[in-house]
Amino acid sequence: MNEEQKKAVLAKYQRALQKGERFWPDSLYKDLIVSMGLFLLLILLATFVGIPNEPKADPSDSSYIPKPEWYFLFLFKFLALYGQIPLLGKIEWIATVLIPSAVILGMILLPFLDQNPYRHYTRRVLALTIMAVFVVSMITLTMMADYPTAVDEQGHLTLPTWLQMIGGLLIPGATYLTLLVLAALAKKLGAAARRAQIGVAAISSVLMFGLAIAVMLVSPRPVVAESEVADTLAEKFALGADLYSIYCTECHGADGEVTVITGVEGLEGREIVAINNPDLMYTNSDETLANIIAYGLPSLGMPPFGKAYGGELGPSEIEYIVTFMRYSWDDRAELPADAAISSIPELAPGEIPSYEVHIAALTKRYCLSCHRPGKENNNYLMTSYEEIIGMSDNGPAIVAGDPNSLLLLLIQGQEQTDKNGDPIRAMPPNKLMDPKYIEMWKLWVLNGMPKTAEDARTLSPTPSP
Amino acid sequence: MWRKLYQWLEERLGLSDLYKSLLDRPEPKGNWWNTLGSASLFLFLMQGLTGIFLTVYYTPSPDHAYDSIQYIMTGVRFGWLIRGIHHWGASLMVLVVFIHMLRVFVTASYKYPRELTWLVGVGLLLLTLGMGFTGYLLPWNQKSYWATTVGTAIAGTAPFIGEFIMKALRGGSDLSALTLSRFFAAHIWILPGLLAALIGVHLYLIIKHGESAFPDKDD
Ligand code: HEC
Ligand code: HEC
Ligand code: HEM
Repeated sequence: MNEEQKKAVLAKYQRALQKGERFWPDSLYKDLIVSMGLFLLLILLATFVGIPNEPKADPSDSSYIPKPEWYFLFLFKFLALYGQIPLLGKIEWIATVLIPSAVILGMILLPFLDQNPYRHYTRRVLALTIMAVFVVSMITLTMMADYPTAVDEQGHLTLPTWLQMIGGLLIPGATYLTLLVLAALAKKLGAAARRAQIGVAAISSVLMFGLAIAVMLVSPRPVVAESEVADTLAEKFALGADLYSIYCTECHGADGEVTVITGVEGLEGREIVAINNPDLMYTNSDETLANIIAYGLPSLGMPPFGKAYGGELGPSEIEYIVTFMRYSWDDRAELPADAAISSIPELAPGEIPSYEVHIAALTKRYCLSCHRPGKENNNYLMTSYEEIIGMSDNGPAIVAGDPNSLLLLLIQGQEQTDKNGDPIRAMPPNKLMDPKYIEMWKLWVLNGMPKTAEDARTLSPTPSP
Repeated sequence: MWRKLYQWLEERLGLSDLYKSLLDRPEPKGNWWNTLGSASLFLFLMQGLTGIFLTVYYTPSPDHAYDSIQYIMTGVRFGWLIRGIHHWGASLMVLVVFIHMLRVFVTASYKYPRELTWLVGVGLLLLTLGMGFTGYLLPWNQKSYWATTVGTAIAGTAPFIGEFIMKALRGGSDLSALTLSRFFAAHIWILPGLLAALIGVHLYLIIKHGESAFPDKDD
């Protein structure tokens, strides 16, 4: 810009000021309205949307799929797609350092690169179309960010990934080039070049949006195995109770009452302290309890449960178990009234139990700890309805309507022998269930083992023998 | 009485000069898009205010960060509101600053004589993103931990100096207590300090050159 042009700009600005307004109050009141609107919006968001709770950081759980703040998602997706380009994709720093630096440098130098003295949009077609395509590609990359950049077994890109590559890299790249070429030709072509630029930018924007939507429709949504997070003490207690019954019941019993371990490979007959005794609760802080669970007591036979030490539990989950133990067995701790102590629903008079409502809760509390994959249990798994009514090493454990089903005899404390003549202990091996729960099992089997509450309602009750 | 007080202050502070130069400035015909800069400023101030409240209870150590946030959400009266505003304010600020930049771009307000205003603005955008990045780690939950692991690893891919940058960010080869204290310091002292200073320069330049006029056909 030469001196003359500068003078013209400043003179024009003075004229604009003459016709203009005052900062106070004309502009400032608009500023205040917008700021107040944003303030209101923030309060509404904080109150009604809130902040999702996340589990505590667990440095050992590298299986966690990282997800940055939403405004970095486009960059993440860009890097993932770039990594799929053959050869070039291996030189990571081109995408992680070179390209972002070039973009930032371009922004810094913009006032000096853009030598065009005009300001009206009709005279800045190149700058505006490039920016428009850039913003559209940021938006579409963000739209695709949740969908995996997947390859099949042979290492080829899957169809959705191809669509992502085309919409996320190829089209924007080709568009920038075309726009620049057209700008170089502008002298020769005149207004036609400008119209072509607008057309190219519009068409590629539509294509990019179209591809992003196509990707969202055709890709399988990644199933995020989110571990449950508790907000309140009651929720922590309930989650802790569930986790305890899966991971600890096996050795310590459903109520932490076991003093002689039975039915656990390698620890048969081991005498242990009942962990539900208040003394243990008095002498161990929450932190020591959490540490015992995380490290285990390997020399005494308790395995480590913390992910960092080869177990399956993250820090938040261990915290929930400790909460469950503290509020169940420490007589100084009082559970808030809204916490459900027993997760097993009671039977109404004449009601027939169903798998989904009653039996699933019972197995979770008393049996699942041992009757899940990887434990000694004569191959009798109990994680689903189908498994419970299915076969074990010794044939079916329960037969609808048969009061002498193996399972029913075992839970009533009658030892059996398997087909090789080896004994099968009463179940659960450490301590029988409460009689009312044994009754519930019987009622369920005798009435044909209904799966849902709906099925159970259609049955007419048969009195239990 | 008030008159006297005003007179006394006026003589020593020059209030009416201030009024003339700061508030009673002439401006070209206004436009609602021009409110986005002051909206960014408002959000920055809100973040500062709510952030100060949060530091009262927040503890920047891996052992206590998560619990202190839990405590803010459940134990502190209106803690959830303060944290909620800070959380959403961060997202909104990035959005508003970005749209502010787009409007400056579209009206070509970065051209003579406002080149430096734009230059400082680029710094503001980068610092705002930096605030978002460092703040994300502070709750020390799974999401923040792993996002930061990946984010700092990206910095580590730079040729020659990448390794050094990554270690400088993390304070070692892995995320640790040191990473958290570095990010905390950056988030509450270093970046806001720079941001405030640059906003000062930005505002000075805006007052100096005046708000640009909306471009018409001859511009
Ligand atoms: C494979 C069997 C096994 C499992 C499963 C198990 N433990 Fe243990 N646990 C033991 C043994 C053995 C001891 C040692 C007790 C002793 O020697 O008195 C023990 C001790 C403990 C102690 C310490 C008792 C003391 O004397 O200080 C606690 C607390 C405890 N377990 C809690 C748990 C919790 C909570 C779980 C579930 C996450 C769990 N355990 C799962 C076998 C097990
Ligand atoms: C402490 C671990 C443990 C718990 C808890 C437990 N079981 Fe078992 N269960 C075993 C083991 C081990 C076997 C294999 C037989 C044996 O060694 O006694 C078994 C075998 C069985 C069998 C016989 C399977 C077959 O075909 O041989 C049935 C049925 C059974 N359990 C039902 C239950 C039920 C119902 C519950 C819950 C109320 C339960 N078990 C709780 C460890 C356990
Ligand atoms: C923390 C972030 C920011 C704050 C608080 C801020 C604040 C402001 C304010 C109050 C104005 C005057 C009102 C208006 O035009 O909206 C303004 C104008 C301006 N801003 Fe920003 N800004 C920020 C970020 C940016 C960014 C990221 C850019 C560009 C890269 C930028 C470039 C400009 C320019 C060139 C002007 C002059 C506009 C004109 O005169 O028409 N600013 N800014």
